[in-house]
Amino acid sequence: MKYLFTYPEKCTGCRQCSISCALNKLGECNPKKGAINVLRDEFERYEIQFVCLHCEDPECVLVCMKSAITKGEDGIVRVDKEKCIGCRMCVVACPYGAITSFEGDIIKCDLCDGEPVCIKYCSTEAVVYEEENEELMDRRKELAKVILKKE
Amino acid sequence: MLNRKLGVVDLSKGKIEIQEVSESLRKALLGGRGFNSYYLWNMVPEGIDPLSPENVLIFGAGFLTGTLAPSSGRFNVSAKSPETGFLGDTNCGGFFAPELRYAGFDRLILKGKAEKPSYIYVEDGAIEIRDAQDYWGLDTLDVQKAFRKDLGQVEMAVCGVAGENLVRYACIRTGIKNAGGRTGMGCVMGSKNIKAIVAQGTIGIEIAHPEEMLKTVEELKDYIMKSKITPILGSVGTPLLYEVSNAFGGIRTKNSQLNAWSDDFNASEVEKFVEKMISCSSCFVHCRHRNTLGGEGPEYTALGLLGSNIGMEKLEDCIKMQNQVNDLGLDVSSTGTYLAWATELFEKGLIDEKVTGGIDLSFNDFETYTKLIDMISRREGFGDILAEGQWAAEKLNDPNRDYLIAVKGLPQSDPHDVRYMKAFALGIATSSRGADHLRSRPTLEIFFKLPPDVRNKIYGAEIANNPITLDTKEHVVSWSENIFATIDCLGMCKFICHGFNSPHFVDYDWMLRLINAASGWDYTDAQLRAVGPRVIDIERLFNMKHGLTKAHDTLPKKYFDDPSPLKVAKGHHIDREEFAKALDRFYEVKGWTPQGKVKDDRIAELEAIA
Repeated sequence: MKYLFTYPEKCTGCRQCSISCALNKLGECNPKKGAINVLRDEFERYEIQFVCLHCEDPECVLVCMKSAITKGEDGIVRVDKEKCIGCRMCVVACPYGAITSFEGDIIKCDLCDGEPVCIKYCSTEAVVYEEENEELMDRRKELAKVILKKE
Repeated sequence: MLNRKLGVVDLSKGKIEIQEVSESLRKALLGGRGFNSYYLWNMVPEGIDPLSPENVLIFGAGFLTGTLAPSSGRFNVSAKSPETGFLGDTNCGGFFAPELRYAGFDRLILKGKAEKPSYIYVEDGAIEIRDAQDYWGLDTLDVQKAFRKDLGQVEMAVCGVAGENLVRYACIRTGIKNAGGRTGMGCVMGSKNIKAIVAQGTIGIEIAHPEEMLKTVEELKDYIMKSKITPILGSVGTPLLYEVSNAFGGIRTKNSQLNAWSDDFNASEVEKFVEKMISCSSCFVHCRHRNTLGGEGPEYTALGLLGSNIGMEKLEDCIKMQNQVNDLGLDVSSTGTYLAWATELFEKGLIDEKVTGGIDLSFNDFETYTKLIDMISRREGFGDILAEGQWAAEKLNDPNRDYLIAVKGLPQSDPHDVRYMKAFALGIATSSRGADHLRSRPTLEIFFKLPPDVRNKIYGAEIANNPITLDTKEHVVSWSENIFATIDCLGMCKFICHGFNSPHFVDYDWMLRLINAASGWDYTDAQLRAVGPRVIDIERLFNMKHGLTKAHDTLPKKYFDDPSPLKVAKGHHIDREEFAKALDRFYEVKGWTPQGKVKDDRIAELEAIA
């Protein structure tokens, strides 16, 4: 399957990924409503992206009482807006901080059904969309450990 | 809605008004610098002391700030300048301005003076004046860290101890190094008892045609990334300019006694101190260095003004000093220029230890300069004199400012020695805020390989293909001023503006596509091209109202009278007669009177904007 892979060491913190995501999905420029988020702090000197990993066995799917979140045959984990009641359990459950919510609306990456918009606006290839392979998945696991430690 | 609101804060009365802004005004001036200058012209009474409560301090985001438009993280801060007495205006990047817009506001106008140290807190459509006792006395980094600790992921524009202590060239800072550096806007903050504007918001900027904006920016990104200059800016940033200018003798050195300096300040050396290149909001170029000495930078400006201009031999010392200046909240360009000024006066015997309080000034004296920078920010001893900037001329025994590299009282911003590059000279002489390259920097003048027909097409006139003549350069300067003013109104960075770093990049056509995609207007090319000249004329009117005359459109004495001593530029200076003629031609291109005044019918037209 193809996934978004992130490289925090290349991320410059510009947030064009988040802004383009929100513009594409919601028609507004708002980095806080992007399904990909950049956590940055110039004083602590880091930039790091948060985006759904479309886990093999997703915590968000497990905790959803309304079965509004499902992992499709294409491997993409999606939220069904009709079923979602905005309880935010998925937001709490995601170990990677990859789901957010605004006024009851859940914001989560769906890989734009296989054509993610965000990658087009990254000038340093800090977020790329690639077919999985062992090396990339190992790297992603290492990165996940870093995120888990930060949380 | 694309547009946000205007917050008018009367600090003396503790009163806050939230206003809508008319579409006609937005179509006339777009936003950012244009709006700020317009409000200053209308609101600041003639003859006031810039440090009095009558002064007005404006924080204004650009028309496209915070959108997907590339490099759109910028805002302007404007007031009557305590450093010059004329137009105070400074443009800054980072993340503050987008946050101000996400919090619901395009612009805040601060009037009066708070009774006690305060800060302005803005969140999702609301403005509060809050007590800042706990934050007063902190430097620019510590205060921002304290706000983040107390209030979460806020973005801030703050003044440092230099602003609190009313150093006339105190800057405004957001983040570690992004500065609204010029014309002492941090000093005006201090005079109003305001430590910071703190913003936090979740209100997205609605775009009229999202698909059109996504498409335009995708194409524009490809265009910008394909340029030869982009990867260079993205790997070494502005220091690349040092070597270019130094090669022909265009680097201010030891208070312009020399015009070239050591290769130890080349970008290849600066790169050794770079930990990571980072961006401002929405920027593809990422020209900011996170340095290994605990700060960000240096920019080309710091390399020159806190490097060659004060005779520094070690790059590391220069970077340390710029980190210090950034922390304290001083303007790099002014600080470096005043230090160099005082050092030359001391070396020439025009001042002695009685004036300096026992300080022995000499170029390349890192220890003394570091101590003095700290003393300036706290107004201690000789630092108290230097904190007055150009107003210290009498005390420094240089009453006519013959040794100060400044125009209209503002020290020259960039490290360019302009005796060789005549269009640069005309630009800093006529700029609305004093000696400043960011108003009109005609970089293409030193693109020696640019074909003449390309140059002529860009500037819309037959241009002399030679940087050493003032002939025809009135067109170059005027064209540059207009387009840079326009991009300032949009809140986008000059780094991707057509004609600033490259003969390519964002021209009026690209601007028009972005404006119409964002707003849904049918804005025309003619409407867009009218914005820049309008802003320039309004700034001229503000300056004239505050005492500016033709005599202020001039250059530092040294640039006229002392020919450059080194390299290709050797022997070059600005001829007074040639300059006077160029000034006349410049006024004509601007449509001003021979005395440099805006004509009456134009004034009536500008007064009718509402």
